[in-house]
Amino acid sequence: MLARSFKTLAILLAVGVLPADLAFAQQVSQQRIISGLGKLKANAPAIDVELLRQEAITGAGKQMSALPNWSKIAKLPQMVVEINFENDSVAIQPTSYRTLGMIADALHHPNLWAYKFLVIGHASSTGDEKHNLDLSEQRAVAIKEVLATTFAVDPQRLYAVGVGEAFPIEGTNTDAANNRRVQLVNLGVFTRKQ
Amino acid sequence: MSRRSNLFAAVTLACITHAGLVQAETMSYADAITKLADDCGGDIRKFCKGLNLGGGRIADCLEQNAAKVSPVCKASVTSVVQSISLREQAQAAYSDVCKGDIAQRCRGIKGDGNILACLVKNKLVSGKCSQAITDAGWR
Repeated sequence: MLARSFKTLAILLAVGVLPADLAFAQQVSQQRIISGLGKLKANAPAIDVELLRQEAITGAGKQMSALPNWSKIAKLPQMVVEINFENDSVAIQPTSYRTLGMIADALHHPNLWAYKFLVIGHASSTGDEKHNLDLSEQRAVAIKEVLATTFAVDPQRLYAVGVGEAFPIEGTNTDAANNRRVQLVNLGVFTRKQ
Repeated sequence: MSRRSNLFAAVTLACITHAGLVQAETMSYADAITKLADDCGGDIRKFCKGLNLGGGRIADCLEQNAAKVSPVCKASVTSVVQSISLREQAQAAYSDVCKGDIAQRCRGIKGDGNILACLVKNKLVSGKCSQAITDAGWR
């Protein structure tokens, strides 16, 4: 888990309703996360989270792929995770604990344990724009915190950014509930700061 | 005499097998936290509303409300904490425990994921390393 060489990856995982057969679902899903992440062939570009944050704010209304820094993120393999929060709160609903646990299991697996990840919080356009931006940021940070504390993932491997309603899913109404989502992107091999 | 040692061997084997089974019951984070959500979801909603999972807040809250928290939830927290820590220990110990097997059986293989895959496939891997992989939840 210490210093490793540098490469790259990205994840987006879609976990909706969790089936009752948890053991089986977990196997399949963890495998999906791991194989999804393993698909990255080229090195990931250097990512600056603060730049991404600024670019999301100033570039609102544009596609992710139309923004210079976000377009790099958009090219990385990724997964969308459905994590439900209490209304207007950073509190994750207990029904979503399992999803976080699966992500943690995947991040602790040797296939992925060398990589670092970006958690992106998205909001729908329902409600005040600035409030949505802040809340999505706090929720992304909350997910990072859960992974780093409850699930013992090295916090130095995790980055969090909230983009509010800047990037709705293409072809959806901006106020659609499925635009409230969390995106996980693998940012490449983790190297500890010297 | 030989009969007796066979019996002894059988008992020993049973103990080892049993110990192995107990050890193997480390839990994934997903299963552990699902058990917690199932057994404590009601208590969390009741006593810890608005608190988040991270930073030990839910655990602290459940502890502070121990008098009111359901016995099922309390038992679940104990077992979840234990099984997670067993798995964490196994994962932390893996590189060391399997060092010899990696050098011997998977020499020249690059990448931690590929090395693990090599160990998992190799039937000659030591019992200790094999058990560490199982306990780590990597099969």
